[in-house]
Amino acid sequence: MELTNHFPALILAILLGISFLSPILYRWARKASAPALIASLFLALVMAVYLLVQVLQVGEFTYYMGGWPPPWGIEFKVNLLRVYMLLIVLAVSLWIMVYALKDLEHELKTEVMGWYYTLYALVVGSMAGMALTNDLFNLFVLMEICAISACAIISIKEDRACLEASFKYLILSAMGTGCFLLGVAMIYMVTGQMNYDLVNAALPEAVELYPNNMFAAAALFIVAFGTKAALFPLHVWLPDAHASAPSPSSAMLSGLVIKIYAFALFIMFYQLFPRSLLESIPLNEIVLWLSSMGIMFGSIFAMVQVDLKKMLAYSSIGQIGYVFLGIGLDDIIAMTGGFYHLLVHAIMKSMLFMCAGIIIYTTGIRQIKQLGGIGQVLPITMIAFTIGSASMIGIPGTGGLISKWYLALGALEIGRPIFVVIILASSLLNAVYYMPIIVNAFMQQEQFQHQVKPVPRKMLIPLIVGMAAIIFFGVFSRPAIVLLDEALALFF
Amino acid sequence: MEDQIVRITSRLVTPFIQVYGIYVILHGHLSPGGGFSGGAIFGASLVLVALSFNLEVGAKQISHTTASVLESGGALGFVVTGLVGVAVGANFLANRGAGFPLGEAGELFSAGAIFIITAFLGVKVASTIVTLFYNIIEGEEKSGDAH
Amino acid sequence: MEMLIKIAHNYYYMVAILLFVIGMHTMLTHSNLIKKVIAMNIMDTSVFLMFVATGYTYGGAAPIVTAPANEVLYVNPLPGSLMLTGIVVAVSITAYALSLVVKIYRYYGTVDYDEICLIRSRE
Repeated sequence: MELTNHFPALILAILLGISFLSPILYRWARKASAPALIASLFLALVMAVYLLVQVLQVGEFTYYMGGWPPPWGIEFKVNLLRVYMLLIVLAVSLWIMVYALKDLEHELKTEVMGWYYTLYALVVGSMAGMALTNDLFNLFVLMEICAISACAIISIKEDRACLEASFKYLILSAMGTGCFLLGVAMIYMVTGQMNYDLVNAALPEAVELYPNNMFAAAALFIVAFGTKAALFPLHVWLPDAHASAPSPSSAMLSGLVIKIYAFALFIMFYQLFPRSLLESIPLNEIVLWLSSMGIMFGSIFAMVQVDLKKMLAYSSIGQIGYVFLGIGLDDIIAMTGGFYHLLVHAIMKSMLFMCAGIIIYTTGIRQIKQLGGIGQVLPITMIAFTIGSASMIGIPGTGGLISKWYLALGALEIGRPIFVVIILASSLLNAVYYMPIIVNAFMQQEQFQHQVKPVPRKMLIPLIVGMAAIIFFGVFSRPAIVLLDEALALFF
Repeated sequence: MEDQIVRITSRLVTPFIQVYGIYVILHGHLSPGGGFSGGAIFGASLVLVALSFNLEVGAKQISHTTASVLESGGALGFVVTGLVGVAVGANFLANRGAGFPLGEAGELFSAGAIFIITAFLGVKVASTIVTLFYNIIEGEEKSGDAH
Repeated sequence: MEMLIKIAHNYYYMVAILLFVIGMHTMLTHSNLIKKVIAMNIMDTSVFLMFVATGYTYGGAAPIVTAPANEVLYVNPLPGSLMLTGIVVAVSITAYALSLVVKIYRYYGTVDYDEICLIRSRE
């Protein structure tokens, strides 16, 4: 059919359209604004599933915006890996939005809720675009949209901590984007192209004339994507930003926004730069050691936190280190582990942030030491927290084990067993700070003393779906692994 | 601000600024400028009126509701122009393939979709600048800091 | 000597890098929040300058086609139009950051970063 050829552009158009339509809907037809957002997210998800079916049948295809082929036009490329990322982004954001409908009423003032829907749709739309685009400048524009709206969904809560955290995130993010644009300038100066495939074809002869531009561009890309995806020394904005945001925003930021930049770094290294040139720069070593330090330090910092959401935010730093470890090990099995971790961590961390949000909504508690005995009054929430923590630690039966298994197998395959030691040590450290919460929640002798509001059903249903998804991806991991193997084989 | 000279000067100069802004927007496909800069010039003229007189006079030029609707409408117009291409059968944001009248190069009404998109963008940027100004100033008045 | 000749030829890029370093230095050392925001704007502007300067061809005319004259050599218009979008993005980020600074000022009564840290440490 003719309309289905345009699905790559229509996904972006629908999400941008609903984001521009939300302020008008909120002002004049308030009851229709939330269902409209959910309907458009669902429609975009259906289109993405159709794209997956199409790619599995036909193979990789491209879509030209405006009918202009590159180098005159912008190209959207659809292959298995990009559709995988697109599905993760759309499915998890729809799931978080169902939770957010009830939680936002108590965290935000009523007049700004219409704007929250706008910003949320912009974040999702820009991430969907970043997964599909094949052009450097289009990636820059979408990165900027994502950065501003991600900062805005933190600061929309308008209390003191989130304003400062949002300001810090904005400044560091803007510096990262400045470095990215400088890297694009370096590449454009010598090749004259913006499309990934055309740059890949033009770089070998450009490097013979001007050898230093590519090194500068690669270094600037690592700094830019490292700042935005919280690679180890550039992670300083993450704890404040994710801890002080409203809970749906924390779930969205920790679960999806930092991952799409790790994906973009992968595409830069493996699609933009030609393979032969990449081996002359030890980029993989740098990413490897920085990610290992991020894994260890994320867990070490998380152990000493007293605030629940800040502990989860530091844990995110460690977990995104796993994805970068997968990219840095430069072996197809390790990359499968890294990308599987992208999927599983998006679900686990969002679910943990949703549990934290429910705890704050019903009891107002944010400190860990006051959480004793809470399992007696919020059983479903704490069971979901237990399953999420088990997956973080890597207990068999949950999805977290599969990704760590593949990462360790990949590290052994290229003959560097020290990374297996790092993975095991970090699993132990994860257990050190997740287990006390669970044990104290269920096995405390005294009664739980604070007031408890009843939990709305709309906030429990996403938890149940999340628990089912984690156990599903832990037990039936074969389809996703086969898909990832086929997707990553294109890049090797 | 209550200065007589500022008021008379801004009353004289504002129409010229607005015509210049509309000129830059309309000639976006012929000379440097386009939607962003033309919209900024037009929006700046409305901010000038609000600054040199008081806020009520400024609000009469373009009210809060109108600015909100124009903002969303401008962006939606952009998306709808792209979707026209999809409805006809060419790709998203197609120009000649979607049947927009192209005209002669160098004329004012030429270049099909680019002209329409530039117009929508100019409206959106102008209303955005006015809305930003009003949000910051009204926040100042509420906290008791206004002049 | 060769290096000096190369630097003298490419003085556009040298100025861009100088502006970038000035912006970064201001952001790191000055404690006023508004100065940090303006320094970030200067850094972004320097990157735009670098990008637009790559499009210049020696002896080219301005890239506006006025019928019927047809020049042989035009300056590359693509970096300029791409950077127009970039400038709009930088302006949006500056506007958003300044509005955040306005709200922080309302909570703390000061825009000096060291004093804000002092006030926070006392609570």
